[in-house]
Amino acid sequence: METFSDFQCPACKQLYLGTTRQLTDNYISTGKVFAIHRDFPLPGHAYSRIAARYGRAAAQLGKLEQVEQVLFQNQEKWEQTGDVDGTVASALTPTEMNKIRALVNSPGIDAAIEKDVALGRTYGVNQTPTTIIHYKGQTFPVTGVVNYDALHSFLDQLLSTR
Amino acid sequence: MMQSSPLNWRRAVILVGRLALAAVFLFAAYSKIFLPNSLFGPLPMKLAMSVNLQNFVPSVEQYKVVSHGAAVSIAHALPFVELFLGLLLLIGWRIRIWLSAASAMLLGFISLLTWAFLNHMDIKDCGCFASSTPEPLNGWTLLRDGIFLAFALLITFLAFVEARKPHSWTAPANS
Repeated sequence: METFSDFQCPACKQLYLGTTRQLTDNYISTGKVFAIHRDFPLPGHAYSRIAARYGRAAAQLGKLEQVEQVLFQNQEKWEQTGDVDGTVASALTPTEMNKIRALVNSPGIDAAIEKDVALGRTYGVNQTPTTIIHYKGQTFPVTGVVNYDALHSFLDQLLSTR
Repeated sequence: MMQSSPLNWRRAVILVGRLALAAVFLFAAYSKIFLPNSLFGPLPMKLAMSVNLQNFVPSVEQYKVVSHGAAVSIAHALPFVELFLGLLLLIGWRIRIWLSAASAMLLGFISLLTWAFLNHMDIKDCGCFASSTPEPLNGWTLLRDGIFLAFALLITFLAFVEARKPHSWTAPANS
C-alpha cells in the first residue's frame, strides 16, 4: 500500500490522524499490510517541499513516524510561520536533529522526492492524498481521505480472498 | 382570431433557465458523488462513494460554522439534495416549488461565502464543485455564484409571473 502524501495538505493530515494511525496498529504492525510513504509535494504549498525533505531525512535515520506525526499535528502552525525545522526539532533529540539538518539539503534527498513524484505520475496521481493498494497483481487507487471503517472492511475483504 | 403560441419569450427563458440551473445542480452533485474515484472503477462502489463524500467534509468544515459531526452529515447529504433538486428541475415537475428551493439553496451558499469572504477566512476550497484542483474562495467564485443566484431568482420570478397569466389556449370564461 503506497500513500502519496503532502505534509502541508489538510486532507493528508486528516488521513493520517483519522486512518493511518489505526491502520498502523491493526494492519501494519501485525504484518497484514506493508505500507510505503511516498512524497508528492504539491507546487501550490509553500513549505511542502521543505517538509518532505525533513521527512525524507528522518526516514534515513528511522525517525519518519515521529516526524510525520509532529508535522501533521502542527500543520496549521508551521504552514503559517514556515518553521518546519523548529517543528521537527520538537520531536527529536538535538543529536538526531543535527543529523537531519546535515541531510536535508543533500542532493540525494531531492532526487528521492522527485523519484516518488515521478512514480506517482505513472499511476496518474494528481492530488493528495492518493493511496495505491496492490494485491495479487491488482491495483486499487484511492484518491482522497478514506475513513478507517471503509478501508478496514475493504482490506478484510481483500485479505479473505487469499 | 389568431392565438399566440404557448411558448412565448417568457416561457422560453424559463425553460432554458430551468435546464441551465438543473445542469449546475447536477454537475455539483456529480462532482461530489462520482469524483475523483469512479464508482465503476476497480474499487468497490460503496468504498469509492464513501471516499468521494468524505473528501467533501474538509470543505464544509473549513467554514467553521458547524461541528465535525454536523460537517460529516452535511457532506454526506448535501450532494444528494443537489442531485434530487437537479433532477426535479430537469423534469420540470412543480417547477415553481423547486425553482424556489434552488434559489433558497443558492442564497444560503452565497450568504455563507460572502460571510467567509468578508471575515477574510482562508477558504482553500469553496466546496462549490469538487475537482482535483481545490477552488479557493475569492472574488471570482463569489461573482460566479452570485450570477447563479441572480439567474435563479430571475427564473423563479418569471415562473411565478407566468403562472398568474391565463394560458393562451385557455377557453374564455362564458359570460
